[in-house]
Amino acid sequence: MTPLIYSTLIISLGIGTTLTFASTHWYLAWMGIEINTLAIIPLMTQSHSPRATEATTKYFFAQATASATLLFAATSNAFFTGSWDILQTNNPLSYTLMTLALAMKIGLAPLHSWMPEVMQGLTLLTGLILSTWQKLAPFCLIYQIQPHSPNLFMALGLLSIVAGGWGGFNQVQLRKILAYSSIAHLGWMVLILSFSPPLTLVAFSTYLMMTFSLFYSFMMTKTTHINSLSTSWAKIPTLTALTPLILLSLGGLPPLTGFLPKWMILQELTKQDLALVAVLAALFSLFSLYFYLRLSYTMTLTMPPNNPAGTLPWRLNPSHNTLPP
Amino acid sequence: MSYLMCVLLLGLVLGLVAVASNPSPYFAAMGLVVVAGVGCGVLVGTGGCFLSLVLFLIYLGGMLVVFAYSAAMAAEPFPEGWGSWPTLRLVGGYLVGVAVARGLLGKNWYEEDWSGFDSILGLTVLRGDVGGVSLMYSSGGWLLMGGGWVLLLTLFVVLELTRGLGRGALRAV
Repeated sequence: MTPLIYSTLIISLGIGTTLTFASTHWYLAWMGIEINTLAIIPLMTQSHSPRATEATTKYFFAQATASATLLFAATSNAFFTGSWDILQTNNPLSYTLMTLALAMKIGLAPLHSWMPEVMQGLTLLTGLILSTWQKLAPFCLIYQIQPHSPNLFMALGLLSIVAGGWGGFNQVQLRKILAYSSIAHLGWMVLILSFSPPLTLVAFSTYLMMTFSLFYSFMMTKTTHINSLSTSWAKIPTLTALTPLILLSLGGLPPLTGFLPKWMILQELTKQDLALVAVLAALFSLFSLYFYLRLSYTMTLTMPPNNPAGTLPWRLNPSHNTLPP
Repeated sequence: MSYLMCVLLLGLVLGLVAVASNPSPYFAAMGLVVVAGVGCGVLVGTGGCFLSLVLFLIYLGGMLVVFAYSAAMAAEPFPEGWGSWPTLRLVGGYLVGVAVARGLLGKNWYEEDWSGFDSILGLTVLRGDVGGVSLMYSSGGWLLMGGGWVLLLTLFVVLELTRGLGRGALRAV
């Protein structure tokens, strides 16, 4: 891709999210989301393979459906209440439709089926942009919708934790595992949104940092499958030592940072007299912990069979930018 | 006039069913043309004649014509119209859906009042639609530029996707 087009697309990604963040009118917020969707399409097809084209097509269908539903919900809100203000979405049809549309945009269950297939067809860098940057703009809008009852958000959240954990159970492709992990984490964020929005932001920011780190460590060792992960331990030994920490943080184990949002969310749920929801969320997160543990097991804790030359990649010219080498 | 509006709205719904029931692009493009034409008629009926004219020219006469030509390039030996069984099944399903939605959401058999472009603002020199166009160029200048940027971005995206012959994602036809 020529540098001019590449920079135009990257700048448009920035413009779209900024526009949604800065807007109080539903039209402008929708416009920002559409700019994001359009700008990432050529970035997704960059590897020019049929798999990438298929992933891009699926992404476009899912996002276009969600955008159309979002626009319809905003227009129906304007029809019933006369206001285009994002904070004034009082009509029940509107905020329900908006919640479902935005849930489809970020990949919450039961509207999550596009996520693993789309992530599988992308390079790790594009998957990273999809998992982190593309979630910012719809999440900003989810944060601002104020529904009258927490039921829909809790249902979406709990279903996402279940789907993200249970779905990632049998995966060996790292990008699909990361997609399911993203679904589960977004489920935790949305679960607590009606009760304590700051906790949602805590969960979101920790998720961004942890997912970015994990994607980047996979990018540095260029691994996309558990098989290649198992023989990648000798490439960058420091990374091999640190990646289990990232994985266990994603799994939510203390004393790592990833435990903090889960702890506070469980505490807030108990304070709201929703102990059963808290127990279910914690139990189904064990599924996610299982596949994070499996990744750290294959990468760091065991040495799968390889010839002795497999112990030497760290001696070769480094293609990474870590220090110390 | 009420009867004409009823007919136009019925045509809108039937055209929607015709497009959504997944026929070949030939027939779907025809369905789109019908929907666009009928939609313009509805706009005229509620008082927005300038918008209707612009829609006819740009949407029907610009974009749909281009779409019809590119659909003609995707020629099939056995195109599926609305008589073929899979499409007919979907048509039946959508008509049932329309009837169910009418039963759930519709209230009465007589026409409800559409406010239209004439009666909102009271006594004005300009009608609603022309006044809106002038506002778009004056107060809505920044939004117009944003909309122009989105269209330019779409152009770049499509050009990048169809660069063809290995450098794009879709092969050049």
